[in-house]
Amino acid sequence: MNEQKAVASRHWKSTLYYTVLWVIVLIYFFPVLWIILSAFKTKNELLATPPVWFFRPTLENFIGLFHRDNFWPTFFNSLTISLSSVGIAIVVSFLAAYALSRFKIVGSDFILFLILSIRMVPGAAVVVPVYLMYAALGWKDSFWPMTFFYAMFSIPFSLWILKGFMDGVSVRFDETGLANNASRFHIIFKVILPQVKPGLIAAFVFNMIFVWNEFLFNFILGGKQTTMIPTLLVSDSVHEGGVDWTFVASLGAIYLVPPVVALYFFQKYLLVGMTFGTVRGEV
Amino acid sequence: MRRVFAFLLSLGLMTAGSLPAQTNHLDLKGKQIKLAILGVAGWLPSKLPSDMFPEFAKYAKEKYGYDVTCTYADAPFGALFQKAAASLATKSNEYSLIVSDSQWLGAFTEPGWIVKLDPIIKSDPVLSKLQWYNPVLETSYMEYPDNSGQHVALPQETDVEALFVRKDLFQDPKEREAYKQLTGNDLPQTFEDWEKVDFDEFAKISKFFTRPDKNLYGTVFQHSKEYDFQSMYVYPFMWSMGGEFWDPKTHDTEGYLDTDINAKAMEYQKTFVQYEPPGALNYGIAENIDAFTQGKTATSIMWAAVGLAMITDQNRDKVMVVPPPGIKQADGTIKRLYCIGGQAWVVNNYATPEQKQAIFDFLKWWYLPETQLEFAKKGGNPAVKEVLEDPSFDAINPWNRAMKYMIPFNRDFYHSPKYAELLAIQQEAFCSYVTGAMNDPMKALHWAAARQQQVFHDLGDTKKKANPAYLKLQLN
Amino acid sequence: MRRIENSKLYPWLLLTPTLIFFAIWNIVPLFWMVGMSFYNYSLNLGRPPRFVGFDNYTDYLDSVDVWLAMSRTFTFVIFSVGLTTLFGGILGVLFWRSTKMPGRRLALTLLFSPMILTPAAIGTFFRLNYDPTFGIFGYFTRLFTGHTLDYLGTEGWAFIALLAVDVWMWTPFMLLITLAALGSVPSAELEAAEVDRLSIWRRFRYVILPHARFIIMLGIILRTIDAFKVTDLVYQLTRGGPGGTTEVIGVMIYRKAFDALTMGWTSGLAVITLLTAIAFTAIFLYILNLQKRRRALK
Repeated sequence: MNEQKAVASRHWKSTLYYTVLWVIVLIYFFPVLWIILSAFKTKNELLATPPVWFFRPTLENFIGLFHRDNFWPTFFNSLTISLSSVGIAIVVSFLAAYALSRFKIVGSDFILFLILSIRMVPGAAVVVPVYLMYAALGWKDSFWPMTFFYAMFSIPFSLWILKGFMDGVSVRFDETGLANNASRFHIIFKVILPQVKPGLIAAFVFNMIFVWNEFLFNFILGGKQTTMIPTLLVSDSVHEGGVDWTFVASLGAIYLVPPVVALYFFQKYLLVGMTFGTVRGEV
Repeated sequence: MRRVFAFLLSLGLMTAGSLPAQTNHLDLKGKQIKLAILGVAGWLPSKLPSDMFPEFAKYAKEKYGYDVTCTYADAPFGALFQKAAASLATKSNEYSLIVSDSQWLGAFTEPGWIVKLDPIIKSDPVLSKLQWYNPVLETSYMEYPDNSGQHVALPQETDVEALFVRKDLFQDPKEREAYKQLTGNDLPQTFEDWEKVDFDEFAKISKFFTRPDKNLYGTVFQHSKEYDFQSMYVYPFMWSMGGEFWDPKTHDTEGYLDTDINAKAMEYQKTFVQYEPPGALNYGIAENIDAFTQGKTATSIMWAAVGLAMITDQNRDKVMVVPPPGIKQADGTIKRLYCIGGQAWVVNNYATPEQKQAIFDFLKWWYLPETQLEFAKKGGNPAVKEVLEDPSFDAINPWNRAMKYMIPFNRDFYHSPKYAELLAIQQEAFCSYVTGAMNDPMKALHWAAARQQQVFHDLGDTKKKANPAYLKLQLN
Repeated sequence: MRRIENSKLYPWLLLTPTLIFFAIWNIVPLFWMVGMSFYNYSLNLGRPPRFVGFDNYTDYLDSVDVWLAMSRTFTFVIFSVGLTTLFGGILGVLFWRSTKMPGRRLALTLLFSPMILTPAAIGTFFRLNYDPTFGIFGYFTRLFTGHTLDYLGTEGWAFIALLAVDVWMWTPFMLLITLAALGSVPSAELEAAEVDRLSIWRRFRYVILPHARFIIMLGIILRTIDAFKVTDLVYQLTRGGPGGTTEVIGVMIYRKAFDALTMGWTSGLAVITLLTAIAFTAIFLYILNLQKRRRALK
C-alpha cells in the first residue's frame, strides 16, 4: 500500500516536473510563436490593441507574398547561394582537415588560429575591407563572388569541426590502407570519409543555417541579383504609411521554418556546431 | 481614309518637330532597354514613376521605336543613400535612375557618380525650356555646389511640411465655445485663419486638445534619431526665430549653430512634446501617420508627399490641410522658414549610353504637363511651373494649396558630400536634448557645432579649427 | 600519382584550396584594411586617399565617442555573458534530469530556436513587440503598470531592452553548454556523492565543477566573442539610438563605413576591433590547450 503511494507520488512529482519544463519552453518560445501566428492575421488583427488571441487564420499574407515579384528570385538565391557555398566549403575544408590531422605541418596551429580568428571579428569590421576589394574588382552583386565569400566564411567552422572528428579516427586506418598499397585518395574518401560523416553533417547543417541567416554581407556585397531572404526582410519591410507588418510576419514565418526543422532533425549535432567542434556529446 | 491621312500627317509633324532633339540622339530603334529605378521605400512619390512606367514604354515604342522595361527597388530613407552609394562606388549600373534626397547631391556629384546635366539640358529643346515653380526648387533639387549654377539633378517630388488638421474637431461648436471661454480666441477655421496662427497660439490649441483620458493629443511631430527626422522639426523653430545652421560662405558652424537663438528654439520645440502622444519621442514618418490617421491627434505637421497616406477613406471628410505655424516677429508679422523636403532625380554615370538615352527620353516624358498632372492626380507633387499654376491644380489634392503657399517659405540645408556625418552629429545632439538624456540645449549645440566644424575643416572648406574644449564635451 | 602522394608537398596540396580562399578573402582585405587605416579616404569625395600616418589612431584616443562606444560594448558583453550564463545554468540544471520528458526533442527544438534565427530578423520582429502602441510587450506593460513605456525610445530602457533580446537569444546556448558540462561528469562520482550525502554546494564544488569547468569556460569565451560582435541585432532594433545609448562598436563601424563612407578612419577602428577579437581567440585557444595538456598528464 505504502509502496503504491510512493509510486503515485513519484509519478505525480515527475508529471509536475515535466509540466513546469514545458511551461518554461512555451514561455520561451512565445515570441517566435507570436511571429508565426501574426503571419496568419490580417493587418488590423496584427496591430490590434489589446492583442487578438483568437482569430480566423487567413492565408492572404502568404498569397500576397508569393505574388510579389521579388519573393521567388530571393528565395531561390537564398537556396542556391547557401547550398553551393557550403558545399564548396565542406569539400575544401575536408581536404585541409585531413592534411592538418595526419601530417606534421609547420605552423599548423597558427593556421588554425588565424582561420578561426576571422569568425571572431564583428561583421562590420570584416565587411569594410572586403567591400573595398569587391568595389575595386567589380565583384559586387554577382553570384560567384557572393558564393565564394560565404564559402570562405564557412571554412573555419567546417575545418575545426572536421579536424576534431578526424583526430578521433585512429591513424591505424591510414597505416593499414597504406600497407595494403591503397592510394591516399582512396584512404581519404573511402576509409576516412565514412567515419567522419557526423562531422560532415554537423558542419553542413551549421554552415547552412549561418549562410541562410546572414544579413550584413549580403546587404553590402550583394545587390539586385543576389538578394537573400534576411536582406529582403529588412529592406522591404517599409511600406506606404508604416512598416508592412504582414509582409514581415509572413516572410519571417517562411524563413523560420527551414532552420527550425533542421534543428529538430539534427539536434544531436547542435553542440558540435555551436562550439566549433571543440565540444562533442549529446544533450 | 482622311483620318488615316491626318494621323500620318500629325505623325510626320511630330517626328519633324522632334528632329532637332535627335541630333545627339542615339538610334535605339528596335532595341531592348532595361532600366532600374531606385527610390525611397514607403514613399508613394518614389514609386509612382515605376507604376506609371508602362505608359512611357508605350510612348517610347511609338515615338522612338524601342522597347523599354523598368524594375523598381527601394530602401527606407535611412538606408537608401547607403544602398545607392555602396552600388555606385563599385561603378555599377545596377540602378540607372536614382531618387535622391536633396542633401545627397554633393555626395553623389563629387565622386563623379552621376551625370552632370548642363550640356544635356542646354542642347535639348524640351529640357532647356522647362520652368520651375519657384527658384527654391532649383537651388534645392538641381544645383551643386550651392550658387554655382551647375545642374546635377532634376526635381522629382516637391515637398514641404504642412499642417494636417482634424476639421471635425475644430468645427465642433462645443469645442469652439470651450476654446473661446478658455483663451478668449477663436479656434482657427479657414485656411486664412491658419495663416495667422503662430506657435504660441498653436501651443494653446495643442494644449486644449490634449486629453490623455480620451486618447487624444494636441499634435504630433517627429523626434526620431533616424535620418533627419528630428532636425526637420527643429529647423523650422530655429530658422523662423532667426537662427542659422552655418555660414553659407565659409561653411563655419561654430558660432552659427550654437547660438542663443537656436538654444531657445530647441527649448521651445521641446515644450510641444507634452502635447504629443506617448512614444512620440521615437516617432518617424510612419508612426506620425499612424497616430494621426487613427485619430489620436488633433493636428499633425507632416510632409505633403504622404498626403494620400494621411487622408484615408475613414477620415477623408474630416481633414483639411493648411500652412503650419510660424513665429511672431517683433513687428507682429508671422515668419515661417521651414526646411524643404522632396527629392531629385539623379542619373547614374555608369549607365550605358543606350540606358542614358532612354533615361533622358523618360525624363522628357516625365515633365510633359500631361504626365505631371497625372502624377499629381495619383498623389505626387510636381515642380513644373505650368502645372502648379494650372487653375485646376489646387483642387487635385487637399494639400496642394498649402503646399504651394509654403514653397517660398522653405529652404534647404547643406548639400555637402559629408552630409551624412553632419546630419548624424546634429541628430545625436538634438535627440539627446529632446529625449531628456541631457538638459542643456547650449551644450548640445556646442557639441554638435564643434564636431561639424571639424568635418568642414577636415574637408578643407574652412580654415577655422573646431574648438577643442567643445570636442571634449560629452552628451550624456 | 604515387610520387605526388609521397612527396613532402602533398599535405600542402590538400591545404591549397583552403589557403587560396584564405589569401583572397582574408589576407588581401586585411592588408587593404591595415593600409587604408593610414589614409584619409572617403568614398564619396572623389578625392584620392591622402596619407596621414597614425592620425586616425591618435584620433580614436582623443575621441570621446569611440571610448563611449567601447565602454558600452564592454558593458554589454559583461551583462550579456553574465546573465546568459546565470539563466543558462539554472535552466541547464532544471533540464539535466529530463531525459524521459515527453516530447523532449520538440521541447528542446523550441527552446533552442532563438539562437539559430538571424539577428536581423529578430531585431525587426522585436521592434514590433516593443512598440508602445502595437507591440505585445507594450500591451503587457500597460496592462500591468498602467503606464505607456516606449522601451526602444527611452534612454536607459533601450539598452536594457536590447540586452533582454540578446539574453533571450543566447540563454539557450549557455543551457546547451551547461547540459554538455553536466553530461561530462562521470555518473559514478555523482552516485558516490549521493551515497556520501554531500551538500548540494559541496557536490557542485568538488564533484561537478572540476569536470564541467572546461566546457563552461569554453562556453563563456565563445559567448564573450559573440556579444562583442553584436551588430545586426542592434542595428535593426535601435540603430544605435536613442541618443547613441546603444551604439556599440560594431554599429559604430557600420555607420561610419556605410552612412558616412569614411573608409580610412573606419578601417583603423576595424583594425583595433580585429586585434581585440584576436586577443579573445587567443584566450579561447589557451583554454583549449590547457585542457589538452591536462588530458595528456592523465
